[in-house]
Amino acid sequence: MKTVHLIIEDKPIAVPEGTNIFQAAIDNNIHIPGLCYQPKLPQFGGCRLCMVEVTERRTGHRFACAHPVSEGMIVKVNTPKITRYRKSVMEYLLAHHPLDCPTCDKSGECGLQNISYDLNLAPGRFKTTRMNVPVIRDNPLLELNRNRCVLCGRCVSTCKEIEGLGAIDFQNRGIKTVIGTAFDKPLDCSFCGGCVAVCPTGAWQDRTLGFGGRSWEFMKTPTICPYCSVGCTIVLNTKASPPRRDGGVDTVKRVTSDDYTGINEGNLCVKGRFGYEFIHSSERINTPLLRRGSELTPVSWDEAIACISENFKKIIAEHGGVSIGGIGSEKSTNEENYLFQKFCRTVLKTNNIDNLSNIKSPFLNGLIYKSVIHGFASASIKDMETATTLFFFGADITEAHPVIGNMARKAIRLKGANLVIANARNVQFQSQARSDVRLRYALGSQVTLVNAIMKAIIDGNLVDLKKVEASTNNFPALRDQLNNFDPKDALQLTGISADSIKQAAAMLTNNGNSYLVCGKDVEEDPRGADIIEALLNLCALINAGYNADANSARISIFFSRSHNNSQGVNDVGVVSGYLPGYADIENASSRETVENVWGVKLPDDMCKKDNQDVFDLALQDKLKALYIMGENPVVIHPDGKKVHDALQKVGFIVVQDTFLTETARMANVVLPSATFAEKEGTFTNMGMLVQRLNKAILPVGNARPDWQIISDIARKMGHAFAYTSPKDVMVELERVSPVYSGIIYDRLKRKEFHWTSFFLTKNKPLTYTFGVIEPGVLNISASKDFPFILLTGASLNHQGTFSRHTKALTSVAPECLVEVSRNDARAMGINNGDVVIIESARSKIKLKAKVSGKVSEGMVFISEDYEWQPVNLLKDGAYTPVRIHKEIG
Amino acid sequence: MDNTSTQLEHHSKADDAGGKTHSVIAVCLGTGGVAAGGNFVFQKFEEEIKRLNLGITLGKRVCKTAKTGCRGLCSKDVLVDITIPGAQPLTYEKVTAAMVPEIVEEHLVKNTPIEKWLAKEDYHKFYDSQYRLVLGNCGVIDPEDIEAYIYRGGYEALKKVLKTMKPEEVIQEIKKSGLRGRGGGGFPTGEKWASGAKYSADEKFIVCNADEGDPGAFMDRSLMEGDPHAVLEGMIIGGYAIAATSGYIYIRAEYPLAVKRLHIAIEQAHERGFLGGNILNSGYGLNIYVKEGAGAFVCGESTALQYSIEGKRGMPRTRPPQSVEAGLWDKPTVLNNVETFGNVPIIINRGAEWYSKLGTEKSKGTKIFSLTGRIKNPGLIEVPMGATIRQIVFDMGGGIPKKKKFKAVQIGGPSGGCLPESLLDTPIDYESLLGLGAMMGSGSFVVVDETTCMVDMARFFMTFCASESCGKCPPCRIGTTLMLEILTRITMGEGEEKDIEVLEQMSDEMKVMSLCGLGQSAPNPVKSTLRYFKDEYLSHIRDKVCPTATCPALHKFEVTPEKCVKCQACIRHCPVKAISGSSKETAVIDKAKCIKCNLCYEKCNFMAIK
Repeated sequence: MKTVHLIIEDKPIAVPEGTNIFQAAIDNNIHIPGLCYQPKLPQFGGCRLCMVEVTERRTGHRFACAHPVSEGMIVKVNTPKITRYRKSVMEYLLAHHPLDCPTCDKSGECGLQNISYDLNLAPGRFKTTRMNVPVIRDNPLLELNRNRCVLCGRCVSTCKEIEGLGAIDFQNRGIKTVIGTAFDKPLDCSFCGGCVAVCPTGAWQDRTLGFGGRSWEFMKTPTICPYCSVGCTIVLNTKASPPRRDGGVDTVKRVTSDDYTGINEGNLCVKGRFGYEFIHSSERINTPLLRRGSELTPVSWDEAIACISENFKKIIAEHGGVSIGGIGSEKSTNEENYLFQKFCRTVLKTNNIDNLSNIKSPFLNGLIYKSVIHGFASASIKDMETATTLFFFGADITEAHPVIGNMARKAIRLKGANLVIANARNVQFQSQARSDVRLRYALGSQVTLVNAIMKAIIDGNLVDLKKVEASTNNFPALRDQLNNFDPKDALQLTGISADSIKQAAAMLTNNGNSYLVCGKDVEEDPRGADIIEALLNLCALINAGYNADANSARISIFFSRSHNNSQGVNDVGVVSGYLPGYADIENASSRETVENVWGVKLPDDMCKKDNQDVFDLALQDKLKALYIMGENPVVIHPDGKKVHDALQKVGFIVVQDTFLTETARMANVVLPSATFAEKEGTFTNMGMLVQRLNKAILPVGNARPDWQIISDIARKMGHAFAYTSPKDVMVELERVSPVYSGIIYDRLKRKEFHWTSFFLTKNKPLTYTFGVIEPGVLNISASKDFPFILLTGASLNHQGTFSRHTKALTSVAPECLVEVSRNDARAMGINNGDVVIIESARSKIKLKAKVSGKVSEGMVFISEDYEWQPVNLLKDGAYTPVRIHKEIG
Repeated sequence: MDNTSTQLEHHSKADDAGGKTHSVIAVCLGTGGVAAGGNFVFQKFEEEIKRLNLGITLGKRVCKTAKTGCRGLCSKDVLVDITIPGAQPLTYEKVTAAMVPEIVEEHLVKNTPIEKWLAKEDYHKFYDSQYRLVLGNCGVIDPEDIEAYIYRGGYEALKKVLKTMKPEEVIQEIKKSGLRGRGGGGFPTGEKWASGAKYSADEKFIVCNADEGDPGAFMDRSLMEGDPHAVLEGMIIGGYAIAATSGYIYIRAEYPLAVKRLHIAIEQAHERGFLGGNILNSGYGLNIYVKEGAGAFVCGESTALQYSIEGKRGMPRTRPPQSVEAGLWDKPTVLNNVETFGNVPIIINRGAEWYSKLGTEKSKGTKIFSLTGRIKNPGLIEVPMGATIRQIVFDMGGGIPKKKKFKAVQIGGPSGGCLPESLLDTPIDYESLLGLGAMMGSGSFVVVDETTCMVDMARFFMTFCASESCGKCPPCRIGTTLMLEILTRITMGEGEEKDIEVLEQMSDEMKVMSLCGLGQSAPNPVKSTLRYFKDEYLSHIRDKVCPTATCPALHKFEVTPEKCVKCQACIRHCPVKAISGSSKETAVIDKAKCIKCNLCYEKCNFMAIK
């Protein structure tokens, strides 16, 4: 892009053509006052404060946010004349503003206040024309005080352009103009809090703060969100009361966001922005607990650790390390998980370790690694903002990864990106995409759909097929398979018209970068491995024909992960099959590096891939002890009954967690662990980006970070786990793990580490070999007794133990609902809010119904993220047949 | 000027439109006519003709009724033209249904016009001093009948353009004519079209701004009601010139008759091939859609108007980009006013050279004004640019009624300004009006007499702007309210000396800082009244007196004996019997009884009560 040179306030600067003066000034640290301009939002031009004097051919007054730069332009921000006019507008605004700064949470970080201060405003010429309308508090999280509003339009624009909702807009005319919802109904939105984040005054307020502190009292610590796998940066605002000098201890008072830190550009979802209260929940475990009889009683750390050490030693001596199992955590840091697997493998001498994401989709690690080494998973999530086409396959972005939705909408707004959404449900995704294709496939037909798209690409010659054939292996086999494939079958099996498929194929092969998000629905499908293989074929087909000069189509794949560190827990080897960095554990040579660093020899008979889930071993009476870190498998494991039964068979269970979960209640020893806010370390997001946590507060109560607990136990058991901080762990991990090689802990503070790009600078992508994936048919049939298929998935408002103990989230979404299609609901006489009994062959639960357009007839949907609702007791696979009926009476 | 002959020529052509052997009864059914009972008159005529079988035999001549659009002189409605072949067309004024049987009997059957009901001198003076070019068809043809329009040369310009002219030639012709936007700004239409034609895109739009929101303005309304095809023809020619793919007419929903007639016109134009995929087999295609606005004044602003068409909230946006580059749905868009489009077919038909001879050096052609306020003949007039205000007020308007004195004229509605008597001889064109602090605006022309308080008038227009502000920018949203508050205080007698200075400062600040024309021009009425009638402000503020005794809060409710003619009108109307007096004594108001209802003041024709 062309660069334009100009002078603002005597400072010569160079910016890309098409930039407006305001943005050029921001980029060069020049201050222009303004209330409505926000770099991430479309220009509005309402506040009129950014008037500047511009000399192009002639000199005149322009508004900086609305005027593009031009070569040789001279801009003056503060001439006496401009100041006079600017003051006049401020005077008007202040004549309208209530000036209730003493009781306003925004005070100290308020745009209006700052500009008044900068301009040294004297008492004005006017009597006031204040509004005096009641403050709107119709929801537990957001408060709208319209008297303070300057109508900059930022919240309206954020809600519409970033969150895609448009829940609020301007109302009325003239001086009565206000922001509000349609017909003044209570705010019904995703509660992302974007309005609070962009509001320059105190009109929108975070109610969870509740007069908890003034802006200047807060210590602001940026860290990584502990919920989903997008890895947004959140800023913890902490304050000590009484003050620190009087011995006060900091507590987290609110979460804010920063547009310039992290990958999320200041956008968050409801969990990220309001889901922090669990940190100071009164239900946290404050001290270690030891089972004495049937009771868990508080004990000291020394006592608890001594007990664990003794028991583990005894079991190892009597039954061997193999009789101990370990479950790592999708929520703990990379360092902690690394130490966990090292502890299990070297101290306990067991390879029976696993994590829940691997239990849910055991094939995923291998396939993700495959996509990495072939160069398909080389992009970072943020790259989606520049997409040509976004393809969400089996992913409910709005519920599972809301901030990816924000990025997608940015691509749609600024780059005119296309959107393809393939899902069995009619998942909601609000966008203004001009080309928006929804492929609602029949369950079990996913491979057919992917094959049909590939056929459309090949038949339409949409990629350079010669190049594909030359640069890959086995392409003719794929082509032959697809040649024999009749598009009519596709329609019959998938229920999707050939036109839609052609359209999707054309969009995916448009020039530019496309991004494919492979969702949880695929990963947890019984045929997930095949579907992903088929998707990798699709990636290979598009990427092999890539021509850099022509900027032809290229596609990158992301795998949706459930939790903040579901990727990291696998990266650092908390699985039986891999050592840290996906080194094959059965391969003696790949064990060598690890053995050298660890200074131990890993015995051959221990290093076996075990396809059995740890809980299966327990059921078979092969486990005497189980060490669970930061997980609640009783509820989270897809088969709840199995876990419940298995845990009852294990003699000695150690659980370390922040809350007394269903699993912790069955433990012999419970250790209180610190939350993300109380520790350092790193998380790896679903785009393979390793980001660093910053410690904002001291551990609450007697809690300790997991890495410290593990080290304490190891030391007690006589092993030298001499780590003083997560940094020490990361230094070792870097040496051990091929995928984290090159990571420097201290540098992470400034810049995240994207392991796949680093990996690919050292390892050339391998040549891809096409596999022929037979469409096959997945037999999901509802029976006469159980006529509905139960689907489960993510929820926007909840995820696991943390959200369950956060009042803000439980008040927004107090109940887990069962979604029933409109037609089914009508047939059974079910209305919104009716109590419905859902019964499978295994168990039954009672939930309130939500009549929804998202599910098809014959399906019901329950979110599995409401931890207190054990949906997993119903399930016996990804698609469980159930029957539902309205509760009588 | 040959106004009279033009007028007659039109009339005789109207005969022909109905057929040379037909008697034609043309009833004015513009909004003014309908309001005065035109529909009943029309119905009565039809009934009478049917009853007397005049439709078949009337001395072997067929008799027809015809609806026409507004002919301007709304104060004399219902106007009925009766044309009997071979005779001068005659106009009856203020016709009611009760008069119809007699008119039919006497005039049509016996061929003896009823002199006492015929239009008087006023009527002829009103028309004779005008130059009805754009309004040429209004009040003459049946607006719901495309044949009438075609008969009078309609769509000839379109044919000429499509068959013989390239788009750039059309633009050149418009440029040469010197036509400037009639919406108020006066931007050269040719220039706008040329820049619109410069941008290429898959879709381009031509938009007609028919959101006429000024209080007291009804020019566009009358044109659309009286001659909708002319507007369409202008739009199609414009569309061809800039290669538009579709057209929109953004019209106020408060104009139901205009909306209806536009729909009829569009349908008829489609049937005749003047609209559609391939207009007159030229290969050029255009569809025109009517979009009804919801009554926001700000939607007359071009960018707000475009947002409104898109279904968004009508709020102006900042420029650049200009609409010609990225307007409606971010596509190149050319937007013109109704009257501007109405001029286009005339320019094409008669040639730019002929057209450019009309008017002044910088302002060409004619301008339609809607004449309202304290004037004898309120109505719609068309004058060549350069005509003086005096001509309009006194020749066409007939001067001020009730022997009151002329005080000022507010030109351009709430965005315009007032001009005092001393400037009556100002020629009307864009530049000279602007120089004097007024504005051509869309053409509302409100005459005020000596009984009007200028502070109160400024307050009235400020009330309008304050309630019509879209709320986007503080100078307009809060500034208008603050100004209104000051003006209200002044009219309540609570003004302070410094208020005038503050009003002057604010006028400047709002003009510079507001986002769109609404806010920028909202202070104009205040500014111009301050310029020409500052003493009125000062007497409100210093003496607590309203010189015209308009502001009720400042009324003293006393009778000025020199002015009182002892007519006792005040005595008759006083609801509390507080006034005493007789035909011999001047009236006296008993202040103890007076409830300050202001009725005596309003009823006094001699301004004897203050």
